[in-house]
Amino acid sequence: MNSSSLHLNLLKPTERRSSSPIRLRVMLPICAILVCAGLLCWWGMLFTNLMMAKTQASGIEEDLANKGKQHAEIIKLRDEARELKLQLEQLDYYKAGVRSVAEPLAKFAEIVPMRVQIKEMSFSPLPAQILQPPGAKAPLFGPTENVETQKLVIAGLTTKETPVVSLMESLSSGFEKLVTSERKIKSFRQDNAEAEGRKLLSFEVEYTMPERRFAK
Amino acid sequence: MAWIVHRNFTVKLQLTKDKTVEIRLPGGGGSKSATDIAGVEMFSPDCDGCPAVRLIKKKKAWHLVAADVVNDPNGTLPSCWEETPHQPVWELPRAFQAPHAALAVNSSMGTFSQSTADAIVQDMMSGLDAAKAAPAASSGSKKFGIKRESQPAAPRAAAKSDTPARRPTFPDAGTSVSENGRRFVTRPMAEQGFHLYSSLPEFQTLWISRLLPEGKRPTASSIQVAESALMASVFLQPEFHAADGSTLAIFVRNEAIFFAGYKKGEPVLWLRCPSAGGINAMRAAIKKTLGVGDDLIRSVLEESLIDPRPALEPFIRPIFAQLELSLAYLSSKHGLKFDHALLMGLDAGAALWSTYAEEALRLKLIAPNPYDGLIVDKGVETADATGYLVALGAAIAGAEVSL
Repeated sequence: MNSSSLHLNLLKPTERRSSSPIRLRVMLPICAILVCAGLLCWWGMLFTNLMMAKTQASGIEEDLANKGKQHAEIIKLRDEARELKLQLEQLDYYKAGVRSVAEPLAKFAEIVPMRVQIKEMSFSPLPAQILQPPGAKAPLFGPTENVETQKLVIAGLTTKETPVVSLMESLSSGFEKLVTSERKIKSFRQDNAEAEGRKLLSFEVEYTMPERRFAK
Repeated sequence: MAWIVHRNFTVKLQLTKDKTVEIRLPGGGGSKSATDIAGVEMFSPDCDGCPAVRLIKKKKAWHLVAADVVNDPNGTLPSCWEETPHQPVWELPRAFQAPHAALAVNSSMGTFSQSTADAIVQDMMSGLDAAKAAPAASSGSKKFGIKRESQPAAPRAAAKSDTPARRPTFPDAGTSVSENGRRFVTRPMAEQGFHLYSSLPEFQTLWISRLLPEGKRPTASSIQVAESALMASVFLQPEFHAADGSTLAIFVRNEAIFFAGYKKGEPVLWLRCPSAGGINAMRAAIKKTLGVGDDLIRSVLEESLIDPRPALEPFIRPIFAQLELSLAYLSSKHGLKFDHALLMGLDAGAALWSTYAEEALRLKLIAPNPYDGLIVDKGVETADATGYLVALGAAIAGAEVSL
């Protein structure tokens, strides 16, 4: 109270009412209820989200497990496919490395001179084609190297040296698929066999065959 | 840093040891002076209805924007606790829907007096015993006169008579306290040891405080006893300010006459004139002595066709005798010498009173218009301004206006 005013107010401050339509004592509980309701809604939403997340997580876990199995199968299939692909690749290599000797051999019979008897034609043995590296599940197919060389040994009997020379000259052209120019006379000597009363000569000529390339 | 929440919707934030910030929360009352306030005199014995005014302070000047007699609340002022459950809702007309309302109540159970602290404490101890109950004659009426003397009364007082009385502490100035079923508020006077105090039964205060509904304008910001508002009404008067707040005022009401003395704005005297009635007694004396009817009394007092002295002098003489004593008291005790006094509340005959006062006391009586000191807005009825004296006083006191 102002010291000079004459206001003897019997009304207590706590009894004073607000003329404002917004009443603090009404609004406070309403606001409190609204806040509580909002919190409950928020908690409800959080709980729902949590439950949904849990459901999704379990679904994802199941899906993941299924996908794991499928993945393992796919990996297995991919391994198999890769293996098959490798095999196909190897087969392609073989296909590229096919040596067609049938035609030269058929033609060979035509160039053998009269005084020459071919007793044997042999190829040198190839290296092992199937490898089993340590730790490998399956054996590897295919040559060990990209280039493979073989020797062709032609052995026969003759009456004299000239037909053999003639044969070698004949092989020097038109038989590139069968032999190269690289040759070596492994033996040329007197044989025990006779023909027309004459001792025959046995010979062995070793030819280097053309390189067999395993490449696409 | 500390937060202190007060009950009057304020929060004090103590930043440092000697720096405090006060935040006023919405809905709180607080003690800020009101600049738009309605003053209402309730249960006025002088008229049907409640004289009401609305004052608005604009550019440091008070404007009277509405003055009218509004309907009484739908119900009577309760005279005992048992009547309080009937709580009407009272809505004032639109013109009076200020944010705040200062209600001045005329209650036969109310008290407004000057006294010593001990006497006030004694009164607080006696509580309802000291207050008289509504007189039997007026118990059924909606009119409640001003309390004359202490009378016994309240229904609950008897039950407490056996218990030893606790001596209440004297309340702080301006702080409303409840004690023994009554509401008290005190204010120190200029003279050391004396206090003005007013009181009302608790149930009446509560009933009045709940009349104006919450959330609608206006709501009660002040409940005063009518005499308290009457004493504050002088604060509006330019004469009061011209005298630097030192003046003597005579308040004439229908049933009583009061003397009020002020020294530099501080109250030094409040006295109900003993051995004299109010305007009603004066009218009765004129009627009886001069043999005139009610309709001629105003003419007798205002015009000079009939000399009212034979009727007025016997009525006024005891009043002036008391006034002389009061003047002597103010002069000797407070060094106040007056060559004029304010005569307020008298609707007719003020010139005669002044003439007689000059003859008897060499004291000029000035009867100012209660609206003096106010800027009266257009459309406000200015006739019968004396009827709004209490309402004006309630409003100006409720606005915490000081000298």
